[in-house]
Amino acid sequence: MIGVYVHIPYCLKKCRYCDFCSIPIDETAGRYRSAVEKEIALSKAKYPDARVKSIFFGGGTPTVLPATDLAAILDAIRAAFAVEEDAEISVECNPKTIGFDGLKTLRDAGFNRLSIGLQATQDDLLRRIGRVHTYEEFLSTYDAAKNAGFRNINVDLMHGLPGQTERAYLDAIRTAAALEPTHLSAYSLILEEGTPLYDDVTAGRETLPDADAVADMEDAGMALLDSLGYRRYEVSNFAKPGYECRHNLIYWQNEPYLGLGAAAHSSMIEDGLWVRFSNESSIPAYLKKLEKGRLPRAERIVINTFEQMFESVMLGLRLVNGIDRRAFFDRFGCDVIETYREAYDKNDRYGFWDHADPAYLRLTKTGMDHLDSVLRDFRERKLIDFLR
Amino acid sequence: MNFDLNLIRNFSIIAHIDHGKSTLADRMMELTDTVAKRDMEEQLLDSMDIERERGITIKASAVRMFYHHTDGKTYMFNLIDTPGHVDFNYEVSRALAACEGAVLVVDATQGIEAQTLANVYLAVDNGLEVLPVINKVDLPSAEPERVTKEIEDVIGIPAEDAPCISAKTGLNVSEVLARIVDTVPAPTGDPDAPLKCLIFDCFYDNYKGALSYVRVFDGSVGAGTRIRSMATGNEFDVTEVGVFTPSWKPVDRLTAGEVGYIAASIKSVAETKVGDTITEAGRPTKEALPGYKQANSMVFCGVYPADGAHYDDLKEALDKLKLNDASLTYEHETSAALGYGFRCGFLGLLHMEIITERLEREFDLDLVTTAPSVVYHVFTLDGQERIIDNPTNLPPAAEIDYMEEPIVKATIMTPSEYVGTIMELCQNNRGTFVDMEYIEADRVNLHYVLPLNEIIYDFFDSLKSRSRGYASFDYELSGYAKSDLVRLDFLLNGEMCDALSTIVHKDRAYAKGRAVAEKLKDVIPRQQFEIPVQAAIGSKIIARETVKAVRKDVLAKCYGGDISRKKKLLEKQKEGKKRMRQVGSVAVPSDAFMSVLRING
Repeated sequence: MIGVYVHIPYCLKKCRYCDFCSIPIDETAGRYRSAVEKEIALSKAKYPDARVKSIFFGGGTPTVLPATDLAAILDAIRAAFAVEEDAEISVECNPKTIGFDGLKTLRDAGFNRLSIGLQATQDDLLRRIGRVHTYEEFLSTYDAAKNAGFRNINVDLMHGLPGQTERAYLDAIRTAAALEPTHLSAYSLILEEGTPLYDDVTAGRETLPDADAVADMEDAGMALLDSLGYRRYEVSNFAKPGYECRHNLIYWQNEPYLGLGAAAHSSMIEDGLWVRFSNESSIPAYLKKLEKGRLPRAERIVINTFEQMFESVMLGLRLVNGIDRRAFFDRFGCDVIETYREAYDKNDRYGFWDHADPAYLRLTKTGMDHLDSVLRDFRERKLIDFLR
Repeated sequence: MNFDLNLIRNFSIIAHIDHGKSTLADRMMELTDTVAKRDMEEQLLDSMDIERERGITIKASAVRMFYHHTDGKTYMFNLIDTPGHVDFNYEVSRALAACEGAVLVVDATQGIEAQTLANVYLAVDNGLEVLPVINKVDLPSAEPERVTKEIEDVIGIPAEDAPCISAKTGLNVSEVLARIVDTVPAPTGDPDAPLKCLIFDCFYDNYKGALSYVRVFDGSVGAGTRIRSMATGNEFDVTEVGVFTPSWKPVDRLTAGEVGYIAASIKSVAETKVGDTITEAGRPTKEALPGYKQANSMVFCGVYPADGAHYDDLKEALDKLKLNDASLTYEHETSAALGYGFRCGFLGLLHMEIITERLEREFDLDLVTTAPSVVYHVFTLDGQERIIDNPTNLPPAAEIDYMEEPIVKATIMTPSEYVGTIMELCQNNRGTFVDMEYIEADRVNLHYVLPLNEIIYDFFDSLKSRSRGYASFDYELSGYAKSDLVRLDFLLNGEMCDALSTIVHKDRAYAKGRAVAEKLKDVIPRQQFEIPVQAAIGSKIIARETVKAVRKDVLAKCYGGDISRKKKLLEKQKEGKKRMRQVGSVAVPSDAFMSVLRING
C-alpha cells in the first residue's frame, strides 16, 4: 500500500519565509493538469499493481488551480490505481483562493480532508510574513469548507514569527481551536536561506524572537493544545483522537509513496530495491518532459538497507509513539536498540528515552526537543561496523 | 681568485611590515640580473606561505648580487634579510652583525612606524651605516618631504638626499644600488688570518644536512676544511661551501668579507647555533665574535591533535619543523582532557603562533593548543627546587614553600600622548616602573620591569590598541623573582579540565577566574544539559557561570521531500561538532583553550 502525493507548485504570491517549490501562478498553470494526467498514465504502466491508501494534494497552494482541474487529477489517480474505499484524500488550500463552489466541487469529487493555511490570527503578523489574507478571510474559507461538507479539517499555525509574542501565539491557538478543527499543525518558523525573510533578518531589517522565547512559545502552545483536547502525535502535529493524518504517517513510518507533479519526491520499491527519486523542480522542464511523453525524473537513488534503517529512525522518532520495534525487526531483521546500542545508551544517560512501553523506541518530551542531537548520535553508526 | 674586498658590500634592509622590503629586494635582484624577470616569483625572499600572507619575514635569508656601477667596476652585494619581530630580536641582531650597512625603507604614505625603530637602533648599535630610502612615492597620498623630516627628527640621521623610489614600479631603484656602493663601507678582514665566521642563520636540507649561513670575517673556508664551533667545541669537516644566487651555488672557497653557506654533514640545525663563531680546528682564531647567546624557550604550551588518532602525524610534523628551527623544543605529555600531545617551548608568543600555524597549514593538522605558560621555579618545603612549565605539574599548595617567576626588563617606545594609558596597562599587569626618557620632544622610552607571565597572553595586542599601533615593545629576561602565585583551575560540569589550568598571581586570581569563567560560558555552545562552569583555587570555588541547556534542537518540519536534505543537514551539523573537543561530558570548541585566556588587560 502506498500514498500518493500531488504537488501543485503555484501560489497567489509566495510568502516571505517559504522555500518550498512554488511560484506565483502564471500561464504554465493551464498546461499543468494535463501534464500531471500524463505522469499518472506513465506511472500506471510502471506500477500497475499499486494500491493506494491515501492521497494528498499539496503545494504551493493547490486551490489556485480550478477545482475542476484538481478533481480531474483525482479522477485520473482513481482510474489508474486501486484506491482503497476508505482512503484519506487531502487537499491543502489557502484563504482567498477558493470559495464555497470550488470547495463543493472538491468535496463531491471525493476529497475528504482539507488543510487550511492560517499561520496566525493577527492580521499584522500575517502581513509581516507576507501572507495575502486576513483572519476574516480565513474564517470565510473555513465556513465555506464546513458548508461544503468537509468534516475533517486541519488548520496550520506557526510560532516564532517576527513580532509574535507568546500571548499572541496562544491566542491564535485558542481562536483556531474554538472552530473545532479535527487537526492542528503547529510549526516553528524555520529561517531558510534564500527567502526574503532570511535576507531581511540577516540585514537587520527584521528581527525574530530569540531561541528561548520561541522555545517558551512552543512549550506553552503544546500545553494549551493538550488542554484543548489536541493530542500531540508528531513533533509539530496535534489531532483529536482518531484524526491523525494518515498520509503524513506514511512518511514518518518510512513507507512507500509516489510523488506526482513538479519537484515531487517519491520513495518506491522497484525490483525489490528501495529507491527515492525526485521530479524536475523547474516547471517548464517538468512540463516539457511530459509533453515529450517521458517521466519527469530529475534524480534517482537507491537507498541501501543501512540507510533505510537510519531513515526509519530519523522519521520514526518524530512520532510521539516512536518506533514499533517489532515492525522494525520484521522489516530489517534486527532490533533497533541493539543496532544503535551506543547512541541509545548515550541518550539513555540523558534520560531521553520513554521506557513506558518496551515494544516501542520512544523519546520523552525532552528527548524530542533534542531530536536532532539524538539523530546525530545515531548517524555515528557506520555501515562498515554494521556489516561486521 | 679572491674578490677584491673593496668591491664587496654587505647590507640588510630594515622596514616595517608592508613598507616594501621584499618588493625592493626583488627589484634589486632584477636590476642586477640575479634573477631573470620571467623567473621572478613575487617576493622571492619570503618563501614561506605564512611569511607572504603576514608580510613578515620569519627566517632570514640571503642573496648575492653583482652590480655594475657607473664607475665601471663590478661590486658584489650580499643582501642579508632579517626577521621582523621582537621574538626574533636576537636573530635580527646577528644578521645585522654580519653587515656593514643597512637600507632603511620608509613608506612615504605612512612615515616611520614604531616597530622599525628598534631595528634601526640595533643597526646603529652594531656600527652599521644606515641608508634611508623613501618608498611608494608613486602613490597619490605620498608625502616624501614630511617623511624625510621625520626620519631626521626621530632617528637622527640625515635624509635630505634619501632616494625617493617606488619599489613596485622600479622608479629610482638603480639610485639605491649606486648609493649602497657609496654609503655602505667595504668589509675589512684578513684573508690570511685564522678563520673567523659568524653564523647568522641556518637551514636544514634533506641532502646537504644542516647548513650554516655565515659571514666570513677573517681567513677563508672551503671543502675539506676542518671547522670548530667556538660555542660547543664540536668539529666537522666541510663538505661544501657556496653562495646564494639566491639558490645555493657551490663555490671553491668563501673568503674574508664574503657571505655564504657552509655544509658539513651536520645532522640537525641544533648544532649550528645562530651567533656562534666558526673557526678552523687546526688553526683557531683567538677570540670568538661577541654577542653569542643560547636561545632559551620562554613560553610553553600544550599542543594536541584535535583528533587523538593524529598523534603520530603531529610528532612527525614537529620532528620536521625542528630540523629547521633549533629554538623549538617539545616533549611528550598527557592531558586528562586532551589525551596525548606535546609540551612545546617557544622563543615567544609570535614564535608559538607561527609554529602552530605552520603545523596546521603545512602539515594539514587540526590542533588544540592550551594556555601558554612560562617557566616557574618552585621550592617545596622539603628543600627541593622544581622547574615547572606546565601548571598541571605544580605540587599541591601545602607542599610549596615559595615560588619564583621570570621577570623581564621591558622597553616601550611610544609617542608621548600614549604614556598615560600605557603606564596604566603596565600597572594592570603587575609592572614596576623603572624610568622614562624623552628621545624626542614627543617620543618617550618607558622602562618597566614586568612578570613574563603577564605579557604572554595579550599584552602586545593591548599595547598596540592603546597606542593605535605606534608603541613598540622589546623585552629581555632579567631573572627570577619570588612571587605569590596560585594555580587557577576550571571545572566543566564538575570535572576539572587540566588544559585550562593556569598559574596566576594571587591578587589577580579572582578577577581572572571570573573573567575566564564568563568567557567560557560564551564560547561553550549550549548542549543537551546544563553545564556549570567553575573557577577554583584548590578546592575553593571562586566563580561560577552556567551554560544553559539547549531548549530545542529539532526541525519543525520533515516530509517526504525533505529526507535527503534533512540527512545532509545532520551531516553538516556533525561537521560543526568535529571542531569540538570532548572534555568529559562537555564538547568544547578546539580554539577555546587558548582564546578564553586572552582577557584584555
